Parts: sequence; C-alpha cells; structure tokens
Amino acid sequence: MKSKLVLLLAVVFLTTSLLMGCGAQQQAPTETTEETEAPEEAEEPTTVETVRIGAILPLTGGAAATGVKLRAAMEVAQDIINGEYPELAKVPLAKEVGLPNLGNAKLEIIFADHQGNPEMAKSEAERLIEQGVAGLVGAYQSSCTKPASQAAEQYGVPFVAGSSSSAALTERGLNYFVRVAPNDDIETAMFFDYLIYLNDKYNADIKTVAVAYIDNEFGVHAKEMVEKWVKEKYGALGFELVGVVPYAVDVTNVDTEVQQIKSLNADAVFHASYIADITMFVNKYKEFKVAPKAVLNYCGGFQDTQFVVNLGSDSDYFAGGAAFSAEKLGDMPELAKINEFYKAKTGADLDGPALEEFSSVLVLAEAINIAKSLDGDAIIEVIKNTKFDAPYYATGAIKFDAKGQNEILASYMVQTQNGKYQAVYPEEIATAEPVVPIPDWDKRN
Amino acid sequence: MKYRRAEDSPLFTKLKGEEHMIIAQIIANGILMGFIYALVSVGLTLIWGVMDIINFAHGEFLMISMYTAFWMFSLFAMDPLIALPICTILIFVIGVLTYLGIIRRVINAPGLTALLATFGLSMFLKNLAQFLWTPNFRYINNSMVSGKTIELGSIVIGVPQVVAAVASIILTVAVMLFIDRTRTGKAIQATALNKNTALLMGINTKKIYAITFGLSGACVGAAGALMATFFPIYPASGALYSVLAFVSVAMGGFGNIKGALFGGLIIGLAEALGGYMLGTQFKYAIVFLIYLIVIQVRPKGLFGW
Repeated sequence: MKSKLVLLLAVVFLTTSLLMGCGAQQQAPTETTEETEAPEEAEEPTTVETVRIGAILPLTGGAAATGVKLRAAMEVAQDIINGEYPELAKVPLAKEVGLPNLGNAKLEIIFADHQGNPEMAKSEAERLIEQGVAGLVGAYQSSCTKPASQAAEQYGVPFVAGSSSSAALTERGLNYFVRVAPNDDIETAMFFDYLIYLNDKYNADIKTVAVAYIDNEFGVHAKEMVEKWVKEKYGALGFELVGVVPYAVDVTNVDTEVQQIKSLNADAVFHASYIADITMFVNKYKEFKVAPKAVLNYCGGFQDTQFVVNLGSDSDYFAGGAAFSAEKLGDMPELAKINEFYKAKTGADLDGPALEEFSSVLVLAEAINIAKSLDGDAIIEVIKNTKFDAPYYATGAIKFDAKGQNEILASYMVQTQNGKYQAVYPEEIATAEPVVPIPDWDKRN
Repeated sequence: MKYRRAEDSPLFTKLKGEEHMIIAQIIANGILMGFIYALVSVGLTLIWGVMDIINFAHGEFLMISMYTAFWMFSLFAMDPLIALPICTILIFVIGVLTYLGIIRRVINAPGLTALLATFGLSMFLKNLAQFLWTPNFRYINNSMVSGKTIELGSIVIGVPQVVAAVASIILTVAVMLFIDRTRTGKAIQATALNKNTALLMGINTKKIYAITFGLSGACVGAAGALMATFFPIYPASGALYSVLAFVSVAMGGFGNIKGALFGGLIIGLAEALGGYMLGTQFKYAIVFLIYLIVIQVRPKGLFGW
C-alpha cells in the first residue's frame, strides 16, 4: 500500500513537472508589480554589456515546426542588431554594433518553449521576467500570447507580439502589450475587399462565404470577425455567411469537416488553420473534389512555405494575407538581405509570421535603445509614441495605436501560383494577377 | 449568429436526396477511419492483454515507422507499400529491444513502474525524432496510391485508405490466427492467462514477452507504413492516434484483438456521423462519451471477459 502511494506521488510529480516545464520550479510571485519591476530603473543612460529579452515560442509539440522557424527569424534580428551591416543602413540598429545608446550593449534573446500550452506560456513568461528580461516577444499562438502577455502586464514588462492575430489580444486594455501583425479583424475586412475586387474586375460572382476554423482563440475569433463584418458592412454589399465549420485542435482527420464544407457549397471559404490542418484540408479537398471559387487563409499555416513544399502543385490557387512574398524581393533590397540570412539558417524563404516575429525583436530593441533604459515604463512609452522604420515591409513602417495594434497594415493578399506566393492585392503592389475561380481539381495539370 | 443552412441540418429535417449521399459518404469515411484506428490498436491490445502493461510509447513506435517509410521514399524512392516489410521488421526489432532493455527490468517491479518506463521512452523517442528530423511536417505525395480515388456513384473513397482498411482486416485476422493456431500463439495465451503456471509448464515466458512486444511493434510498424501514404509525418503524429487507440482497446476489451477492430470501427463511425450531425467541434467528445457509456455498461469492454 505504502509503495503504491509512493508510486502515485511519483506519477503526480512527473506529470506536473512535464506540464509546467522545468522553469516552473522558479515560481514567480503572482501578486503585483511594485516590488517586481524590471531590474534597472536608471534615469541616466544605462550602460550594460548585454540587454536580455525573452522569446516564448512553441519549440516542441504540434506547432514546433513553425516555432523553430520563428526562432530562426528572431535570431536573424539578433545577429543584425549585434553585428555591423552598412548595407542594411535603413534597418534600425543594423549599421552599428549592438544598442548604441546603451554603450553598444549586445542583445541576447532567451528562448523559452511553451509547447502550445497556454498555462506553460504564462509560467515561462513569469520565469523569464524573474530572470530580468527587459521585454518579451512571441508567442505565435494567440491562445498562448494571451496569458503570457497578461503575466507581462502584471510585472510591467513590455510584450511585443509578432504574428499572433486574434483581435481580442488588443481589446483587453493592456498597457504593456502591442502587436505588429494585422489582427483578424483587419484581415477579415481585407478578405472581403479582395472578394469585391475579384467580383468587380474578374466577374468572380462570389456571394456566399463559409468559415472553417480551428476551435481555439485564433480560430474562434476569426469566425467572430467574419460574423461581425457581414453584419456591420459586407452583408449589405451582397455577401452572405452560409455556415461555419469548427474542428478540434488535435484533429486526426478532416473527412467530416470537408463534407460539411462541401454541403455548404459556399463561393468562398475562409480558413483559420495551422500548417498541419490546412495541409490535411487541401488533401481532402482534392480527394472529395471540393473547389470553391476562392479559399482565403488567415495568418497561420498557409503562409508557412512548408505548405507549398508538402503539397506541390496541389497548393496552387490558395490565397491569404501575408507580410511577405519572395516575388517582391527584387524591389526590396533590405528584405532580400534579411531573407538571405534567414535562408542560410533554415534553408527556406521567409514567410509572413517569421517576418513579423523578426520585426517584433527589432521594435523592442529599438525602443530599448531610444529609451536608453531597461525600465518597462520607459520602453513602452517609446513603443507607443514612435513610428518605427521597417523597410522590410511593403508599407515601410510600424506605428502602434492607443490599443497597441500596428495601425499600418503590414500585409497584403498573396496567392500561390506555380508553387510561389504571388502578391495579388492591392493592385498597386501586385506581382501577378489573381486566378479566380480556382480551377476544378480534374482540370488542373 | 444564425446561418441559412442551420435549419437545413440533417438533425432537424428529413434528408433530401443529396444529403442521403452525403450521409453515405460520411459513413464510408467513418468506416475507413475506423479500420485505421483498429490498425493502430491491434498491437496495443496485444501487450495490454498478455503483459498487463500499458505501452505509452506505442504512438511513438507508429511515428518511427512513418518516418522510416518517409526516408525510404525520400532517399531510395521506395514506395511506402514496398517499404512495409522493412518498417514491420524494424519496429519488431525495436519492440523486442524495448522489452529486453527496459521492460524486462521493471516488469516485476510494483505498480506503475512499467507504465512510467514506457512513458519515459515515449518522451525520449518524440524528442529524439524532433532533434534528428526537425519538427517539420512531411508528406509522401507521390506514392503509388497517393491521390487516387474510387468513385461509387457520388461517393468518393481514397485508395490509400482502402488499402489501409484491407490491410487492417488482414493484419487482425493474421494475428488472431497466429495466436489461436500456432504453438507460440498458444504459449502467448497461456502466459497471458497465468504467467507462473505457464512457466511451470515449461514455457519460456521471457521469450514469450519479447515476442509479444516484437509482434505488437510489427503490427504498429505495418500501420505506420500504410498511414504514411496519407497522413502528415512529424514527431507528435503518433501521439494523436495512440490516444484513440487506447480508447478503442478499452472499448473493445483489454487484450481482445477482435475487440480492438470493432472498437476502432465504433470510434471511426461515432466521430464521423456524430461530428456531422452535432457539430465537428464535438466529434471527439462524442467518442469519449460513447466510451464512458460502454465501460459503465460493460466495464471489461464490449468483447472482454
């Protein structure tokens, strides 16, 4: 009996350790704030050898494939900041070593793994803050960014989210949180504007819309934004939401989901999906010969270049919002150079989320440099009142509104054509014309 | 928000002609998925029945087999169906080595030690796979069956799934025949019934345990090669199916091979039909609800005794 009890305790201990991660043993105090301010509060310019920031990403678990790439993008930002790159003079902090206003201090990113688990994201954020990071970046999945940024708020540590797109993140009234990526609210409006463009210019005759979404913070919120926009604006312009198809986070097959989408027979399908699920969906679309006129993807799996690698020519004609298209590299020398560094690390081109996470590190580092301090209040003050140069984005800059949302739309519509992500909308930045409607599966080469 | 189609849901109205076909398609999908769950479950139930051990690393054996098929395809252009014997033998060997290296030392230890050992092995294999092969999702899109479909009227059935379903039936029958008809199989049964008596009868129970672990590995090895033709391959891919395999085994009856097959079919149909009728976000909830009901009514599972 006694030995069974010991075993039971061992199981409980093991499970708890695994769930909480090793770092959870250094539990941060959960109360507030005053006593746990960032370590340095100097008003005079601080001179330190190294400025540490924390990055929380899904480095293992279901989204690890994406998390590892995002880490590489952040490392590229770190290398650019810590090195001397006169050819990237327009990129902030590139031409001098480190952070010049802090005695050329080097930037060090401390990475933490949340495994896609919101609880772990929170405890890892607390651990990093306890270690004295000046700010946080991450956490990719909105469901993890939410608790992690809540912890940062509690400690008064700035959190710059790169690619998390749930609009709810910037609706919480947090003072220390900003986000670079367009949220799903902005993206949804862009999707409808794109459909109007397709109808007007290409007679696409798209009227009905369905939403397929992963049943988590990201997906549910994307679906709610479609409902909102149809009700408030686009319903009156002739669009109808004919149905929604949610699916479980760890879905093993999507046969039933695709049958539901088929039965809805919508002209356009909006997808809020990660790389594993969207790939399964495309395979099943082909198997069941489902070909809506347009399939538009929120920032997630479609933007991962592995989408094209895995699906080959089957990946063609899907579209989505993205901050990056390799086809635009010729016009953007800074982006081309950054992409070169990234490719040397990963073997693949950048994608939208990777570029957004890259820029989150640059924004945080530049703000620390301008603030000349590691104090959270000073840094966030700079973040909220500065227009950051971002020559690697088509729009060239980043500026946060009062809620912390980047108000300069960093992304545009891309469509996969012959295995490449072509910019297709707005027209003035397009690298190719959109293909609409998507050809039937049996009419493809 | 209310959608135009909500009131047309098959749950609320009589099915129209087209919807009959959709339901038929859903049932076909459910049966095929059921066979795939069964394929993963057969090996699991074998170990459970004979050794009374829950092998938490079962899903990772599946994952290694899927990667083996993938690398055979990528490096040597060997189709997963051709590589099936290699995957089967490899995971058989891994199964035997797992017994000899880990399980043998803890099988007589009290309580949950063996379970914890397999849990540790599962974490090790998952992380090793991520270290060796990165967490990238990989697909085999050009196998001899990939992308091929059979059309029966308006019902579309994927050839890879049909191949996996047929293999699932063959594998289940083969394992049942092996257990029932061969001397080794009878020794496995005897060991499962009472290890000490089997030992007294001259059966080398350690050898039987090693064979059982190997056989379980061989089953999941074959499953991995077949599933690699139509499922994504990544370090956590096995874990998803192993959870449903555990349910399938418990529902069918611990150690009952036929039970694992039917358990898999029930899960496949429940998630497909339930998901379509009640909402896809509930499809796994429905599976687990049915499981809870089954173990309340028959605690030893549908075919348990």
